[in-house]
Amino acid sequence: MKISYKLQDKFDLWIFIPVLLLLGISLVVIYSATTNHPFASGSFDKQFFWALISLGAFFVFYLLPSQLIRLSAVPAYVISQFLLIAVLVAGKVVKGSKSWIAVGSIGFQPSEAAKIGLILFLAYWLVAKKDELNTFKNLTVTILFAFIPTALILLEPDTGTAIVFGFISLVMIYWGGISLFGLFVVLSPVIVVFSSLFGIYALIGTLTLILIALIFFNKDLFTSVSVFVFNLAAGFIFEIVVKFLQPHQQKRIASFLDPTADPLGSGYNALQAKIAIGSGGLIGKGFMQGNQTQLRFIPEQWTDFIYCVIGEEFGFIGGLFVLSLYLIILLRLLIISKNINDDFSTLVVIGVFALFFIQLGINVGMNIGIAPVIGLTLPLLSYGGSSLFASMILLGIVFNIYRNKRLHS
Amino acid sequence: MDDNTFASPYRRRLLFYAVILLFLFLIMQLFRLQIVTNKFYSDKSNENSIKAEVLSPPRGIFYDRNMHILVGNKPAYTLEITPAYFDSSLAPLVEKAIGENEGYISSVLDRTKKIPSFLPRKIKRDINFKALALLEENHEHFDGTKYVIELKRDYSFGINGAHLFGYTKEIDPELLRERKDQYQIGDYIGYGGIEKNYEYLVKGTKGYLYYLVDSRQRIISRYENGKKDIQPDRGYDLVLTIDKSVQKVAELAFEGKKGALVAIEPLTGEILALVSAPAFDLQEFATTTSSEFLNSLNSNVDKPMFNRATMSRNPPGSTFKMLLAITALEEGIITTKYTVTCGGSFQFGNRPFKCTHVHGSVNVTRAIEKSCNVFFYNLMLKVGLDKWSEYGSRFGFGEKTGIDISEESNGIMPSRNYFDRVYGKGKWTDGYLISLAIGQGEVVTTPVQLAQYAALLANEGKTKIPHVLKGYIDNQNNSFVPIEFGDFTVDISKETFNIIREGMRLVVEGEGTAAHIRQKKFDIAGKTGTAQNPHGENHALFIGFAPFNNPQIAVAVIVENAGYGSTHAAPIARDVMKEYLKNITTNKSELIAKNAGGIIN
Repeated sequence: MKISYKLQDKFDLWIFIPVLLLLGISLVVIYSATTNHPFASGSFDKQFFWALISLGAFFVFYLLPSQLIRLSAVPAYVISQFLLIAVLVAGKVVKGSKSWIAVGSIGFQPSEAAKIGLILFLAYWLVAKKDELNTFKNLTVTILFAFIPTALILLEPDTGTAIVFGFISLVMIYWGGISLFGLFVVLSPVIVVFSSLFGIYALIGTLTLILIALIFFNKDLFTSVSVFVFNLAAGFIFEIVVKFLQPHQQKRIASFLDPTADPLGSGYNALQAKIAIGSGGLIGKGFMQGNQTQLRFIPEQWTDFIYCVIGEEFGFIGGLFVLSLYLIILLRLLIISKNINDDFSTLVVIGVFALFFIQLGINVGMNIGIAPVIGLTLPLLSYGGSSLFASMILLGIVFNIYRNKRLHS
Repeated sequence: MDDNTFASPYRRRLLFYAVILLFLFLIMQLFRLQIVTNKFYSDKSNENSIKAEVLSPPRGIFYDRNMHILVGNKPAYTLEITPAYFDSSLAPLVEKAIGENEGYISSVLDRTKKIPSFLPRKIKRDINFKALALLEENHEHFDGTKYVIELKRDYSFGINGAHLFGYTKEIDPELLRERKDQYQIGDYIGYGGIEKNYEYLVKGTKGYLYYLVDSRQRIISRYENGKKDIQPDRGYDLVLTIDKSVQKVAELAFEGKKGALVAIEPLTGEILALVSAPAFDLQEFATTTSSEFLNSLNSNVDKPMFNRATMSRNPPGSTFKMLLAITALEEGIITTKYTVTCGGSFQFGNRPFKCTHVHGSVNVTRAIEKSCNVFFYNLMLKVGLDKWSEYGSRFGFGEKTGIDISEESNGIMPSRNYFDRVYGKGKWTDGYLISLAIGQGEVVTTPVQLAQYAALLANEGKTKIPHVLKGYIDNQNNSFVPIEFGDFTVDISKETFNIIREGMRLVVEGEGTAAHIRQKKFDIAGKTGTAQNPHGENHALFIGFAPFNNPQIAVAVIVENAGYGSTHAAPIARDVMKEYLKNITTNKSELIAKNAGGIIN
């Protein structure tokens, strides 16, 4: 027992074991979804290879000198912005968006690398501006830093990943100590934009609520008016942006609002995923026995819709088991963030927490029909090398922080 | 409370709550989908991936009362196309081979879009040998086409029976909407006659071959290795009351004529023959029926599709005289001693009503024998409308007999109410009744009503609802299941029947109007009738039964626009009786015994 105690002291098994289990489950489920598929049957081998590479990367980052990680924050951010620009120029179009860059024979998604860059850089920046964050200038610059990669990804266009970037930034700024009013200023336009999806009355209602909130905050007239105008503008600009969205993205928004309206069109995936999960029942149809999965009713199920393979073949119990593994990881990240006294480290851990939280929420949510279908992977489970690689590097960094937690205390 | 400090514990707690909230949401929705609405989504999922190919069952065939086949099945070649493998550029070639217009194939494929494109669909039934040969010889060029053997109706057993049997054809869209729980597009269903009325017995149960298909409807495999497949169950074979040889004689007798014949076994109400002429050739309905053929039938002035045996409405003429005689005798208004002197004419008010001859003094028996109108004119005025009308209703006139084929007319049995309705209360006189006495005027009957009337007269008021189905053969254990029909009785004294029956016997066996149809082997009782027809030549009628002492067949015949009943209708009835009685030598008690049992060997 002595040895295991020492191991836990340097290496968080509370996270590592669920991660290993998820990697295993991922391979089992990808095997089930792709073995009999005419053009995805090699996926299992590829993913197995990527799992090994990613585990290797995990240990490399785990063992790096902690100073190196801190020093790489600015370069990582800068390089990833260049990659994001490069993909817009030279990327290849997959399913309507330019998100892939080919390096030799393998492609990778710069947006996955940019997640690392964003988390490290925001941590670095928020530490630098600690206690001065709530000035107008610092807040604006911080939001700008967060906005650059988000906007570049929106241009690909990859709405789902952009939402993830926005959310990570928001949580990290929140963690960095933004004032309630500052948070309100940042968040209210997002709420306005979302409510505008539900029609003009929802928009007017939301704007009214914002007006009441502004009165409640009791700021000076100039600030209040500018914030309101900013919100108004956000609502209308979004209306215009929607008009310029790709047709398939407009349809996705519409099909989220009413998935049954167009069951063979954009609502098809959402409906078939629900059928797959719903028909799984308590214990599922068994490994390789899900007819929705095996007969390929859900396109590219091994990527964004992998959770419904679990729901169909392993049922409520399987789905619950996978969710509880994520729950352990998320709660454990919060606990680690508490036990570290180093500001940079705790921000990085919260950034990783935010990433897992939002990707899990949206991905599982869209699988079970409570979130729109916006192309997001389920970290550690979905097929895809870039996503797994980036997730494992981030976890490696978290473990590195855990290993060195006494250094700064 | 919140503070704007870095990494505040308060903010960590909020994040903690956010995680708990998210998981509660996810788990609740997961529970809702997988546990609460699991059944709904399971059904959806099966609908998605399990598709069935329908196997049509053979339709039950028809036997006559002696187990001779009347309507059978025979194989026909049906062209099937599997759209997923079919090169649509070859469609015009195939269309030409099967004798269809351009665009025919694509129209059928459009109609059957709901069937997975990897499953075959029926393009045309009963393709001819030329088309078959073309497809066979060039099989390698016609991917996705195949022909399967399906059964079609076989009518090659020497009788037609168009109105009796009815026909089958592909269910029309209107009917399909009504019965879409049981039928699909392209299914055959009975129209008219026995095919329609006993559709539920003969149609059988469809079989299904289940396939697993993927999201592109490609067949992956048989579902559960075919363990869940359902074999089609053939329909029940029907045993009819029809006597094939009698039916054949009756059909031949009506060649080139218009009219109808119904022959009944009096004791049982079993219909031995039923003919309506002109008819149509059932062979034309055996498979795909061209719309030109249907249109030509529908536009024909002689209405060959119209079942005269159950639907034609004509006055019964003198065949109705027995009804009045029965009423008068049974009510005690007259006896056989009552006589009327016929001077060849009857004066009512200013209007003379003519008789066929000068008959002199006649009683009721003689009046039936010689068909004396004057006797019955007098009698009608003595009996009155109400009594006559009441007895008419008791004999089933004015309402449907309930025969188990197709549609039927009510006919009209005039009553006080009827006259009040038509002419107005008090606006009609006894003069209106005089024609009714001899079955002319307002009274309207159908041949099947007259046949039932003849059966009642033959069997002293006891018969059953006229029917054509004896029973069916249950294929499960190959046993015969008899079908029972209700009694139809008229409570009239034996004495009255004896008087009437004697009069009817003399019509043929005495000096009556149908003496020329007399037979050596058995006595016939009957009555001729000639229904006046304001639109043309009179209709000839005859009702009768034989043998007189032991009636085994009762017949009603009407030949439209032919003239006298004795000349044109009576001989047809005679031929039918002769044919039916040619072998039967059993006496009445044996007949009863025979019908009590039900099992057919």
